[in-house]
Amino acid sequence: MLFGDTAKLAMLLCGLAFSALLMAQQTSVFFGIMSWTYTPVVNIRAHVWVSDPMVEQANDAKPMRDTELGRVRSVDGVAWAAPLHTSFLQARMVDGNFKLITMVGIDADTFAGAPAQLSQGQIDDLRLPNTVIVDEWGAQLMGRQVKGPDGKITTVALKPGDVFEINDIEARIVGICKVRRAFTGGPFVYTTYDRAKSYTLGARRTLSFMLVEPVAGVTPTELCQRIENETGLKAWTTDTVIWDWTDRSLARATFWWFWKNTGIPFSFGTAVALGLFVGIAISGQTFYSFVLENLKYFAAIKAMGASMRVLAAMLFVQAITAGLIGFGLGAGMAQAIGRVMIEKGMPPFVMFPQILIATLVLTMGISFVSAIIGIVKVSRVDAATVFRG
Amino acid sequence: MTQTIAVAARQVDISFGSEEAKVIALNHTNFSAHTGELIMLVGPSGCGKTTLLSVIAGTLTPQSGEIEVFGQRLDGLSQEELTTFRRKNLGFVFQSFNLIPTLSVVENVMIPLLIQGASHAVAKKKATEILEKVGLKGREEGKPNALSGGQQQRVAIARALVHEPPLLICDEPTSALDKDTGAQIMEMIRELSRAPNRCVVVVTHDFRIFKYADRIAEMEDGKIKRVVDDPRTLDPTYL
Repeated sequence: MLFGDTAKLAMLLCGLAFSALLMAQQTSVFFGIMSWTYTPVVNIRAHVWVSDPMVEQANDAKPMRDTELGRVRSVDGVAWAAPLHTSFLQARMVDGNFKLITMVGIDADTFAGAPAQLSQGQIDDLRLPNTVIVDEWGAQLMGRQVKGPDGKITTVALKPGDVFEINDIEARIVGICKVRRAFTGGPFVYTTYDRAKSYTLGARRTLSFMLVEPVAGVTPTELCQRIENETGLKAWTTDTVIWDWTDRSLARATFWWFWKNTGIPFSFGTAVALGLFVGIAISGQTFYSFVLENLKYFAAIKAMGASMRVLAAMLFVQAITAGLIGFGLGAGMAQAIGRVMIEKGMPPFVMFPQILIATLVLTMGISFVSAIIGIVKVSRVDAATVFRG
Repeated sequence: MTQTIAVAARQVDISFGSEEAKVIALNHTNFSAHTGELIMLVGPSGCGKTTLLSVIAGTLTPQSGEIEVFGQRLDGLSQEELTTFRRKNLGFVFQSFNLIPTLSVVENVMIPLLIQGASHAVAKKKATEILEKVGLKGREEGKPNALSGGQQQRVAIARALVHEPPLLICDEPTSALDKDTGAQIMEMIRELSRAPNRCVVVVTHDFRIFKYADRIAEMEDGKIKRVVDDPRTLDPTYL
């Protein structure tokens, strides 16, 4: 019956699809943004990170003395340990503009923590004086604006050979790298650990983290335990599966720190709840209106001897079928929007299979509620009304 | 032909509302209809025709009295038992056809069979056959709204009979039809009533179709005032 009423069906499918779209898309953007929070763990690859014991998450560097490095290296099971500096600094561009950057200082001997992929230049050039490597997005963001012959202003991305200043010290670009963008937003500027210290104008404590590799036969978790026992520092594993409840994952700790300490989950949760309630309102109202318009036919079918079980099954089948189609349309649109977003790189979009399953369950829930509303109405209609004109 | 009692109502009482607002719809009403018979229930508005029809159809339970349809006592049956009874024994022709506009003609006719649990294929075959019998061959896949009033009522009759019920209940079957079409429909209904094990009860205000009845039961104030064979003997003011 519902599928013969094109207008009602279209309205119902629009409601369900919009709801599924909003729930799937907003949840995917949420997890995309949240995945950016632990970007340092993804970009700076190491099996074990060691930090000050008060550190709660990857963006929260509490600098240590360089001597801590020696203590960690002396722990049994450590193959090597390298220093890592991270800090937020102001970069002064050639046009006088200032940009906030995330400076990453890596060990000059091992290049532990260096970006995995360079699109221009080579990592060894980082050993040259006053050199840095900038990420692709940062190169674009820090690029200079040029007025064309038509008066149109375009941004020319930074490239190897370009220079800028950090605390009045020259930084010459020798490479452009590909790394994942971060929640904190600033461009990544890679340099050596010692040079990073000079850019920070001689701060006494500059060791943000230590990157550690276990010897063969020792798991990261075992090594973390040993480091903590022997040094009193905090040691983290670097697995990024946030669903895995291992208590040493720096990525997971970062994810949940942002979950608890920011309004992001509430903000996106509100959007998802809105999708759910709008879906219930639209599809419930449309389904109810469909039942109301067809009430005399339901009464006639009831008079003909259809049990409530048969009528309920009729309504359920129609509501659930509409729900499945609506979910397909909504999830498909969310996926399409996500693809465009991924291509543009902004905002982030991560659609886990769990998101699709949850959206399906919620869309089915909306259909279920709609069907129940209709069934209650039909159950109350008296079959004898068919004889009342 | 031997006629047996198809429908019997004995001392049936039904009232609606309470206290001062109480309306007595049926007042110790007695009524009977036989197999092979077309009986009409007539009378002024509010006399209790529709209430009696609802009681006979098992969609309304009397407060007292007995209702027996083809030997089955309906008073005292549960709603579930009444539903099962209607499914097997009753066919309905409604005043406004009640054909579902979003379903095709054949799908409308299939409904009683599908309710009984018949497969889609069997239901479609039987529905197609009966549509041919009522003269609607070739219109099976169209929507009811594309048919004339007479054709829609034929579809309704096909739907009422597709599962071969012994009791056919018709509520004002000609009120939405013009004179000629109404006559055609009544010819068809009268022919159907001639089946040896079938009884047709028609509620109507349309005096032009009284001639098709075997008997006419005239109601007044919730009672059967009289039952006549000849419509000319009915109250002239009413006619």
